[in-house]
Amino acid sequence: MSRALDDVIVLDLGRQFCTALSAAFLADFGARVIRLDPLPANAEPRPAGWNHEADLIHRNKESLALDFRRDQGRAVLTDLLAKVDVVVTDWQRDELAAAGLAYERVRTIRPDIVYGRLSGFGPLGPDAALPPIDELAAARTGMMPILPQPGQPPVYTGSGAMHASVMMAFGIVMALFHRLETGEGQEVDVSLFGANMYGAALDLQAFLAIGKGDRLLNPISRLDVSNPMSGSLYPSADGRWVTLTMPDTDRWWPVFSKMVGLATDDPRFDTHDKRTESHRLELIEALEQAFQRHPGAYWRQAFMDNQMSADVIEQFDYPASDPQVGANRYILELDHPSFGKVKSLGFPIFMSDSTARLERLAPCSGQHGGQVLHELLGYSAETIHQLTAAGVVA
Amino acid sequence: MSKALEGIRVVDLTVWFQGPVAAQHLADFGADVIKIERPQGGDQGRGVRSIKSLEVGDWNQYFLVINRNKKSMAIDLKKAAGQEILYRLVEKSDVFLSNLSMDLLASWNLSYAKLASINPRLVYATNTGYGRFSTASKPSFDMTVQALTGAMARLGEPGQPPIYMGMGSGDAFGGIMSALGIMLALYQRRRTGKGQYLDASLYGAQLYLAAPYLQSFLAGHRESALQQSRKQVVNPLWNLYPTRGKWVYLCEPNRDDRHAAVGRALAAEAMLQDGRFKDAAGRATHNEALIEIIENATRQRGHEELMAACNREGVIASPINNLADVIRDEQAWRNRYFMKTYCEEVDREVDVRGMPVTLSKTPGELRCLGPQLGQDTELLMMELLEYQWEEIEAMKAKGAIP
Repeated sequence: MSRALDDVIVLDLGRQFCTALSAAFLADFGARVIRLDPLPANAEPRPAGWNHEADLIHRNKESLALDFRRDQGRAVLTDLLAKVDVVVTDWQRDELAAAGLAYERVRTIRPDIVYGRLSGFGPLGPDAALPPIDELAAARTGMMPILPQPGQPPVYTGSGAMHASVMMAFGIVMALFHRLETGEGQEVDVSLFGANMYGAALDLQAFLAIGKGDRLLNPISRLDVSNPMSGSLYPSADGRWVTLTMPDTDRWWPVFSKMVGLATDDPRFDTHDKRTESHRLELIEALEQAFQRHPGAYWRQAFMDNQMSADVIEQFDYPASDPQVGANRYILELDHPSFGKVKSLGFPIFMSDSTARLERLAPCSGQHGGQVLHELLGYSAETIHQLTAAGVVA
Repeated sequence: MSKALEGIRVVDLTVWFQGPVAAQHLADFGADVIKIERPQGGDQGRGVRSIKSLEVGDWNQYFLVINRNKKSMAIDLKKAAGQEILYRLVEKSDVFLSNLSMDLLASWNLSYAKLASINPRLVYATNTGYGRFSTASKPSFDMTVQALTGAMARLGEPGQPPIYMGMGSGDAFGGIMSALGIMLALYQRRRTGKGQYLDASLYGAQLYLAAPYLQSFLAGHRESALQQSRKQVVNPLWNLYPTRGKWVYLCEPNRDDRHAAVGRALAAEAMLQDGRFKDAAGRATHNEALIEIIENATRQRGHEELMAACNREGVIASPINNLADVIRDEQAWRNRYFMKTYCEEVDREVDVRGMPVTLSKTPGELRCLGPQLGQDTELLMMELLEYQWEEIEAMKAKGAIP
C-alpha cells in the first residue's frame, strides 16, 4: 500500500509531547521517522508499568542513540543530516547551534531541508527566546480567566499544545509539497503562543473587532449565558451535565419547549428576542428546574429522538468504550508484548489510499542504530562496530 | 514571493466554522479557494450578528475572517443544472471539501464516487461529525461533540461545572486537522497522480484536544478523567497563584535549585527553612502545605511586583492575561499572529487573526476578507468554466444561479 509520505525521512528531535506527536502523525502516514536519543542517556528513573505516552508519541518511529557532542558523533550527525528531508525540533536556538543543528548550518549540508521548529512565542520579537512552555503561552493568550465560572481560578486546558502539534505537521507537509514542485526547502515555525491564540478563535477575534466588552474579559456564569439554548450547561437529576447548542431558537422552540415541559405559547418565551433578551434569565431558571426532573440518560435519548444539537457531558470512559470510536480507529486496541491488550489513541484522519499504519510501538533507545547507520548512511560493519565500542552510538 | 499552494484549486462547500477554517488555512498559503453557497442567504455563518450578547461590531468578523482570501459562487445544488455547474468546476479543481452530511451530499449527487468519476485526481475531503464509519445520526456542533470526548469534564476545580475550552475551540482544531489531511493527500497525489477520499471528523479531532490525559486514562490512570484542584498539584512550583492583581503562572520543575529560586523571589523564608520541602520527594509529599505557603506569599504582592522578582531570580513565570492584554501584545503583532486588513463592509482597516503557521519562504498572505455572497459566480462561469453568456442566462432561468 502506498502511503502519503513514503518518500520522506524525518529526523525527530522533539522533547515535548506535542512536537513528538507531530512527528508521529508524519510516521503514521508513511514517513520514516528517526528519533535522535542523546547519549549519554539520561539516568532519570522511568515509572513502572506501561509507558503509554511513548507508545503514542513515538509509535512507528526508529531510534538512533548517539553521542553527538563528541567529534565522531557529530560526524555521524552530519552524514545523517545529508540524508533527511525534514527536521522537527523544539530545542532552543542556542542548544541547536551548540549541537551543529541550527538551520543555518543544516541547510549548508542539505539545502532543501524542511526545518520545523516549535517555539514558545514565534521567531521574531522581544520574546522570541522564551522557552516553549505551553502554560506560559496559554497565560499570555487571554482565555484562561474567562473559561471558568465567576470567582473560580483561571483554567489551563492544554489544548494549545495540541493545536501546535497539528499545525506543525500541516506546515511541514505544506513545505514538502512546495519542495516537490520547486526543489526549495524552508523553515517552518509554529509557536505555542500562536497556536493558543488560534484555539481561542471566536472570543479573541470578537475582542479584536470590538475592542471592549466585559463579557469577553470576565467569566460568564452559566446562569447568565447569552442564549439559554446555546452554550449553556444544566445539571440533570443524577448530577450529569447537559449542554445545548441551538443558536437558532425559533427553529427548535416548538419541539424543545414540549420536551422540557414548557408551554410552546408561554408568552414569556414565544419569540427569539424574548428567549435571548427580555426574558433570558427567566428561561435559564425554568430550564435549570426542567432538566433536574430527569437523569442524563433520559435527556440523551430525548435529544436523539428529536435530532437536537445537545448532549450529556461525559468523562473519558465514554469515548474509551464508544463503538463509533472503535469503528473509526480513533482509539485502537493494541497487543502489547509486555502488557497484553491495551488501548491507545489512534488516528484522527481517515485516508482511503493512505491508511494510517501501526507498524510498531515506541522504539527502545538505540534500537535501530545499526539499521540507520548501515542502510541509510552506508557505514561498514567495521565502522559501526568501532562507533559502538567507543560508545558514540548505542 | 512564491506561494506554497500556487495552482491548487479548492471547491469549498462548507458552512459555519470547522470546514471554512480548514479552507482558510489553504487559502492563506495561496490556494484558489472557491466557496460554494446556497443562493438564499449563503453560509449560515453570514447570519452571526452577536457573540455573548455583544454586537459583533459593525462588520461580521465571524464570517469574514475564516472565509478570507476566498471567492464565492452562489449555486442551487438541489437543482440538476446547479449540479452540472459544480461538476464542471470539479473537473478543473484539485480539492473538494465539505462539512455537510454525507447523506445530503449524496442526495445532491455529490458523492465521492460521482465526483471521482469526473476527476480521478480529485482529493475529496469531508468533515463528518462522528467519523466516516460512524452510524451515529445526530447533529454535531463544537460544544456538543467536545462534551462527549471527556475533555470538558476534567477541567475546573472539583465540584464545579465542566468547562468548555472556548467558542470555536473544537472547530478550529477540527479545521487544522482537516487541512493537514488535505495536504497529505495533495502531497501523495503530486507523486502518484491519484486522488483519494479523506475524512477528518469533529469527534476524531477533538479526542486529541486532551490527548495526554485521555491516553493516561486509557492506560488505567482513572484520575486523569477527573477534575483536579490547583491546591493539590504534585509539583507546587508549576502552578497558578493569585496575587493582589492578576493571577500568575509559575513554571518551574521540582528541583532543589528552582525551589530555592522561587523561595528567594517570594522572599518566603518558610519555604526555604522548612525541612519538609528540602528535596523533590518532600515537596511532592507535602505539596498542599507548600502550595499554601507560596499562595500566602503571592497574595501579598501585585502581579507586576511578583513578576519583577521572578525575573530577578530567573524564575519562569507569566501573569495570566486577559483578551485586552493580548490584543496589545507586541509579540503577537510582530509575528503576524494579528494583522490589519481593509474591510469593505465598513470601509476601514480592521484587526484580524493572522498566520499561526510561519513558513520562511512561502509565508501566508492576507489578500482580502471574506467574499460577498455569489460575487464571483458569473465571472468564474465565463472565465474558468467557459460558459457562454446565453448558457448563463439559461442557468438563471432554471434557478441554478441567482
